[in-house]
Parts: sequence; C-alpha cells; structure tokens
Amino acid sequence: MPRSPMGKNLTTLAFLAEAQPARVEAVQGETETRRRLLEMGICPGVTVELVHRAPLGDPCAFRVRGYLLSLRREQARLVTVSTEKAAA
Amino acid sequence: MNGACAGCPVRAAGCGGKLELIALLGNPNSGKTTIFNALTGLHQKVGNYPGITVDKRTGRLELGAGSVEVLDLPGTYSLVAASPDEQIVANVLRGQRSGMRPPDVLVAVIDASNLARNLYLVSQLLDLKRPLVVALNMTDVAERRQQPVDARGLARALGCQVVPVVGHRRTGIEDLRLAIAAAAPAPAPSYPLPPPMLQRERRLAALLANELTWKPLEGFHTFPRSGSAGQSPASPSLTWKPLEGFHTFPRSGSAGQSPASPSRLDQATAGSLARRLLIGDPSPELAPLRRQAGVSAELQSALAELRDLGLDPMQADIEARYHWIDDVVASAVAVRVGARRTRSEALDRILVHRAWGLFIFAALMAGLFISVFWAARPMASGVQGGLALIAQAVTARIPGGPLHDLLRDGIFAGVGAVLTFVPQVAILFLLLALLEDSGYLARAAFLMDRVLGRVGLHGKSFVPLLSCFACAIPGILAARTIENRRERLTTIFVAPFMSCSARLPVYALLIAVCFSGLGAVAQGFVLLALYLSGIIAAALTALVIRRRTDPAKSSPFILEMPAYKIPQPSQVAWQAWTHTRSFVTRAGTTIFGLSVLLWALFYYPRLPAAAAAQHPAPAQRAAAQVEHSLAGRFGHAIEPALRPLGYDWRMGVGLVGAFAAREVFVSTLGITYSVADAGQHVESLGRAMQRDRRPDGRPVWTVATALSLMVWFVLAMQCLSTLVVVRRETGGWRWPAAQVLFMNGLAYSLALVCHRAVVGLWGG
Repeated sequence: MPRSPMGKNLTTLAFLAEAQPARVEAVQGETETRRRLLEMGICPGVTVELVHRAPLGDPCAFRVRGYLLSLRREQARLVTVSTEKAAA
Repeated sequence: MNGACAGCPVRAAGCGGKLELIALLGNPNSGKTTIFNALTGLHQKVGNYPGITVDKRTGRLELGAGSVEVLDLPGTYSLVAASPDEQIVANVLRGQRSGMRPPDVLVAVIDASNLARNLYLVSQLLDLKRPLVVALNMTDVAERRQQPVDARGLARALGCQVVPVVGHRRTGIEDLRLAIAAAAPAPAPSYPLPPPMLQRERRLAALLANELTWKPLEGFHTFPRSGSAGQSPASPSLTWKPLEGFHTFPRSGSAGQSPASPSRLDQATAGSLARRLLIGDPSPELAPLRRQAGVSAELQSALAELRDLGLDPMQADIEARYHWIDDVVASAVAVRVGARRTRSEALDRILVHRAWGLFIFAALMAGLFISVFWAARPMASGVQGGLALIAQAVTARIPGGPLHDLLRDGIFAGVGAVLTFVPQVAILFLLLALLEDSGYLARAAFLMDRVLGRVGLHGKSFVPLLSCFACAIPGILAARTIENRRERLTTIFVAPFMSCSARLPVYALLIAVCFSGLGAVAQGFVLLALYLSGIIAAALTALVIRRRTDPAKSSPFILEMPAYKIPQPSQVAWQAWTHTRSFVTRAGTTIFGLSVLLWALFYYPRLPAAAAAQHPAPAQRAAAQVEHSLAGRFGHAIEPALRPLGYDWRMGVGLVGAFAAREVFVSTLGITYSVADAGQHVESLGRAMQRDRRPDGRPVWTVATALSLMVWFVLAMQCLSTLVVVRRETGGWRWPAAQVLFMNGLAYSLALVCHRAVVGLWGG
C-alpha cells in the first residue's frame, strides 16, 4: 500500500474497511460523475466511513457529512482516501 | 402592495408587485411533498411538462388578499442538472421553460437532520438573488438526535427567512405562509473562490457583457459588433430563446428604461453566466454561448490556464460552497453530544444485514407480489361483477342489434378492460408509497443492485420488474421510482418479458392440451421454464442495451439512503390516489378506445343472413361470424406467415384477440372452435383442440406447435394496454414501436427455430 508523505495510508473507498474513518484526498472520474460525488459532499478533506456492505459485497453505504450515501464499487474506486492506521 | 415586493428590485422592472407563483423545491427525501400538501390542502392538479414525462404538481395557497399558485418542483440535489427532472428545476427557476413564468418566491425545503448536504442547493438558490424562504423541515428528528438547529442563527447566516416546520405534524405551516408573503431577495452567499479563478471569471464576464445584450423580460440576443456589420442581420451568430418574464435586477441607472429596449448585459448577470461557463454547467441554454467563437476561445484559454495552475473550476466552486456551508452549520448547530448511533443506523444493522436483511427483503417482496397478484383479484372481479350488472340493466332496455352488441361487448367490455387494472395499480402504488416514504425502497435497491447492475439495470428496477409478473401495467408505472432515465427506460423496455398473470391461462391451456402425457410435476417444470425464459430474455436484452449505449454516458450509482421514517397514512393514500387517477384519465382513455376498436374488428363485417341461417346453433354461428369478420380474414391472410411456426388461421385470430389482453387468446380460440364460454369450459376447448386435424389427417395441436406458441407468448409484445402505458411513460411512440419490432421479431424467429427443431428431432 502506498504511503503518502504524512505517513498515512492511501487507498480508495472501494477498499476501505468497516468502521475505519478516512479522509477524502481526491475525487477522480469523468466530469459528470465527479461533479455529482463532490456535490453530494464527498469533497477533499471530509471524513467518510464505511457503514454497510450489501450482501454480495457491492454496493457499499458510507457515512458522509452526517448522512448515508451508497455507491457502487465502480464509483467508490474514484475516491482516494487516507486513513490513520493500516487498513485491514 | 405585497410585502414581498418591498425590497424587490423586480418591481422596478414592471413586475407590478403581484405575487403569482411560488415554487417549492428541495432535495429528494427532504419532505417537500408533505409541506406542499400542508400548504395547498386538496387544491391540487397533476399535469406534466410538455415534451417530457415528469409530473407537474401545482396547487393553490390562500395568501392574504387572494390565492397564489404553488408549484411542487421535482426533488433535486443541484441546479447543475444531472437528470431531466433536475434540468426542469433549473430551467423553471431561470425562466427557461417556454410558457412558464419564473416563480416570484422560492421556498426551499431542507432537512434539519441532514443540514450540510441540503444547504448545498440553498447556496445555489441564493445565487439567483430571488426572494427566498427556507422551510427547515424535520426539526423533530434533529432534536431527537441531539443536534437541534437554531433557526435564527441559520437565518442570520443565510440572510433570508428560515421557518422551522414539522411537515407531517403541520406545525409551522402558518408561519411559513406569513414568511412567503413577506419574502425578500437574500444577498448572494460570499464564499471565497481561488483568486486566479475569480480573475478569469471577471475577464470572461467582461467579454460577455460586450458580446451580448440583454432585453429585460424578453431575453438575450446578439449584439452585433461593429466589425461584423457585413453579416446578415437575419442570422445573428448567437440567438437565445426568449426568456419570457425573466427578471434580473437592472442596474440602478437603467430602472427608467423601457422593458423592451435592449441594454447591455448587467455586471451580475454576466458574472453568473461566466461562472456557469467556467464550471461546465451542461444546461442547454448555455450551448449557443459556448459555440460563439469569441466566448469559446476565451473560455478555452481560461480553462487551460487554470489547469496549468492545478485548478479545476468545477471542484473549486463546489468546495467553496461546502466551506461556506461548514461555517453556516457551525453558526446554527451546537453539537450537544458526539455523534450517537441513530435509530436509523440501528435498524439498518438488521435490514441490510447479509442474512436477516435478505430474509426480510424476500418476505416483504413476497407480500408485495401476493398483494398485487391475488389481493387485487377479488377487487377486480367485484368491480367487473358490478359493471356486468349495470351492463345487463342497460342493454336489457335496448333491442338486439349492433348498438346492443356495441354497448355490451364494446363499451362495457372496454370499461372493464381499464377497470381490471385499477385495483392492481392502486394496490401497487399504495405499497410503493409505503416503501418509499419509510425509506425502505432505497434499501431494497441497495440489496438488489449487485444482481441487477450486472445487466445494466438499477437496484430500483427490482420492484417494478417483480410487479410485472402480476401485470406489466402497474410494473411499468412503478418504474417512475427509478430516477435515472437510461435505467428507467431499460427497465420499461424489458418489463413485458416478465410473464404476467394474463399469460397463465394460455400457458395452462397449451400445457394441458399438448403435454397431457406428462405428470403434474413435469407440467409444473414446463411452466417454471416458461417463466425463467422470460427472465433470461429480459436480462439478455438489458445487457445488449447496455452494450449498445455509450458507456461514457453510463450513469453512476450514487444513491442516498434516507433515514427511516414512519410513513404518514394520509400521504400514502394521497399518492396512491393521484397515481391511480392519472392512470385512469391518461392511459385508461386510450386503452378503452383501442378495446372498442378491437371489438369492431371481430364484429364487422356481419355475416350475411343467408350464411347465418346455415348455422342454427349459436356457438357455430359465432364461429362463422368470427371467421367472416375483419379479424378472421386477417387470421386467414397471415396464415402463410404463421405456417412455418406450426400455427393455423384459428391461432392467428387468437393472436389478434390477444392484443386486447393475452388471456383473450383462450376465449377467442374457444369461439373459433364453437365452444361456448371457453373461459369457463377449458376442458371442452382442450378436447376440441386435441380432435382438430389438418387436411392430411395429422393433429393440429402437436408438441412442436405448442412449444412454438409458448415461445411466442413468452417473448411477444402483444398487449395494447402495455403499449399505451409505455407511450405515456416514455413520452412518445418511439419506445413502444421499438418494443413491438424487437420483441415480436425475436418471438417470431425463436418460435420458428423452436418449431423446426422439434419437428426435425422428433418429427411432426
């Protein structure tokens, strides 16, 4: 797993462990998807936490800005996050 | 004069000080519709926006001197639209929908328990500098979560009126009414954008102010520059649709100007256009601007420069708004305790659990299906029975003849055809409203998305497709819950592949006649195989549609899971009522007309008296009449096309009858076999079919014929009512026509292959 200069682990929302708060670092993807992710409050600096995984592992529900947002793995992959500790 | 006008510069532009139209808007799940109902009571209308199938709800609100119109706009997350519904909201607010004046007052309904995300839209509304009132809904939920919102603090931070309300308890509605009457434009929010972006924005705005002129109340048009004098004046390089009634605030100096005379674009309008161009707003009214050479060059160079600086204007704009929102939230919410686990999250531990969640989901869906499939039956037959009594009473007074038959078999049967759908539609919409208002529908989508997403459908396609096993009509109507257009259309397109309850009598008859040698269990497996084939056909078709459409346009799955709520019975009943009513008035009328037309096809031309006299028995006369009718002639005419499938003219006539409803195939076949009341006497029809022989003595109804007919019934699109509803829901004949061509083409070729294969393998 790559390490950012601050000594944090960088990953994406698709690989986040449950109940592991993460900080959004960047949002990729084509314009329309990226715009909607940002507009829904997934902006750099915000804290995101994986709350539920659907029975087949996809989609996943994340807590962001006090509400629950579910994303397919395809979209979760676009959000780079950093975590304090090594994720499982 | 109305209080709303006191601080409103529009008055100067000739608004006349009349408050006429109020728009209600907010995020999905913000409780907007509850507020709309509380404000307007029963004075509501449901129409739709021309050219697009989005419901347009309007109502009237008593406000001091008179009543004003209230428009309930579709739920939206942003004014930078991501769907046709959201585009409507953006267009209506900016006065870009022709024939619709822009609203005089905006009422933003926001969810106090989800403040930050809801304020994003408010930040965009404030940019419009129109009179705005914020209805702070669900304050009870926020308090229960120990995160009460201070409405006064919020009002100070936003610079507009904030009224705390609890929509379902109707508290605060009177205050909201007063606030609407006194609404005034709020100052635009000041959020710090990166200076390099602001600099490019100002440059672009200056260019726009030079290039465009602005006619208050009429719209933009090009301002012919001195250099372009050679250009034909009839073809300006830039034409904007008239912005009827569009208010901007004229600069102080221009207040005395005549409203019709063009003036230069004012600073504020130019600035907001420049911002929208920079952030890449895909709104169609900006397209002509982007095409204009000067603007396009300036925009491209600005974007390139910002990219070199590592700046993305779109992201910078959204981030700046959220920074502003963070400050606003901080001034309005004092977090009393740390984030506790809410009731909703506790419920989700069970409801989206990989074992419990799926179990409860399966139980709920089974309940929903049984309700639509079985519970609707007694209601439908009760309605039909009542109708039959009326029909009898009416037709008994009319002497036999065409009028009598038209009334009995055409008009009343047509009304009956519409009414059979009503209990199913009503029950399904009642249950859908329950699922949606409680917040469970989003969980159902969450649980099922993996399976449906694989074939290009959406988690929300599940409930509509499940309903299609009862009947495609309510199923297709239920596809409205899928916000995303592409996935909604795909769901509607494949919906008729689900074997509806009208196919069951046909399957039962064919299995009984041609698989009589099999045991009950084996016959059950044949039936199961038929249902599965429909599902497989739907999945493969959806997959093909996904492959064929542009993958870049593929819609992301970004679905809010709203907090659970106890649904309000009045809201649920009201939703079921409006949907059912709109089905009857809009689709029902067409279905009725087509069933009368179909009756005429079987009724005319009449059998000559001499020919009728040869058939003394009524059943035989009826058979002769059908053979003589247009439908019968059509059956004979298409026999050559049907022969390769193993069908004869009787089946052709049956297929024509099946367009009214698939189970009519059985009764039509009954008439052609001179079996009276075949619906009730399936065994005698079955015997007649088994006895039937071709001219060369071979039986007509072989396994090959039955299989090929089953394939046809599984796959073919032959339900007029479904086509009518698809046209209504997709806004044109394009989709229903595509369904007829594709599904019937597929059904014909596979039925042909099936018949050939069986004949080839086992002989005729």
